[in-house]
Amino acid sequence: MTRRRVLDAACVAALAALALMTWQLFDPRVWPVIIAMSVGQVLGTASLVAYCGVVIADYRART
Amino acid sequence: MTFPTAPLAILALGLAALSATILVTFLALRPPLVRVTKIWLLLGFGVFPIAAAFAGNVQGFEATKERQFCGSCHVMSLHREDSDNAASNSLAARHARNPMFGSENCYVCHADYGMFGTVVTKAGGLRHVWLYLTEYRNVPVEAAKATIHLREPQKMNDNCMQCHSTKDSLWLAVPDHRAPLEAERAGRLSCASEGCHGFAHPFFRGPANEARAL
Repeated sequence: MTRRRVLDAACVAALAALALMTWQLFDPRVWPVIIAMSVGQVLGTASLVAYCGVVIADYRART
Repeated sequence: MTFPTAPLAILALGLAALSATILVTFLALRPPLVRVTKIWLLLGFGVFPIAAAFAGNVQGFEATKERQFCGSCHVMSLHREDSDNAASNSLAARHARNPMFGSENCYVCHADYGMFGTVVTKAGGLRHVWLYLTEYRNVPVEAAKATIHLREPQKMNDNCMQCHSTKDSLWLAVPDHRAPLEAERAGRLSCASEGCHGFAHPFFRGPANEARAL
């Protein structure tokens, strides 16, 4: 998987995470809140980790 | 579903919108992965979403105190309807009409107090979620009445006593308060028992629950 594809996948995951995290604000019931604080944040964290991985790999490739 | 008006919710939405704009722009324009792009992506993947998650979490925790949240599981629908009912004379409904409790009356009466009260209460809430998923998801409300009960009923008087200290002279002037004072303070005699102020949720007491009443 190329770095660009990893970033594309991370963007999609981050957008999904943002959607899940904002859903609870419109519909503050049990499941939206729990999903926002679990699935939403895991997806968001995974996308940030993927971004950091791409940046580190890019830096290593240049040095 | 309503548009949120709380400042934290609006802040979380704004931060999420900024993050989404950066990410969608990156996907649409596909710029080269140079330093400037990486900095923008750091904002889109890290700074804005983390801030949005933080604001959203605080707002989410506040939302978990609301009666609307507690009543969103079907087995709690009767409790919610009763508290919403301005004509109800149940203990829970009367407290819901008190501005000190208001729309957070479930949380105010059932939360653990003390330094880690909020954390303990939220951890207990996760237990409720687990029980709902594993035991009550498909159980009709009428059937749930037979088994739903307070886990630590002896602690409920502690919550009553947060407001009704049992030390006020007017309160102590009532003979029915004064006679069983030690039992009330120790939680052996519930304030919300049939012979005292009545059950907080009288409509939800099945035969099994009656036997568990203090």
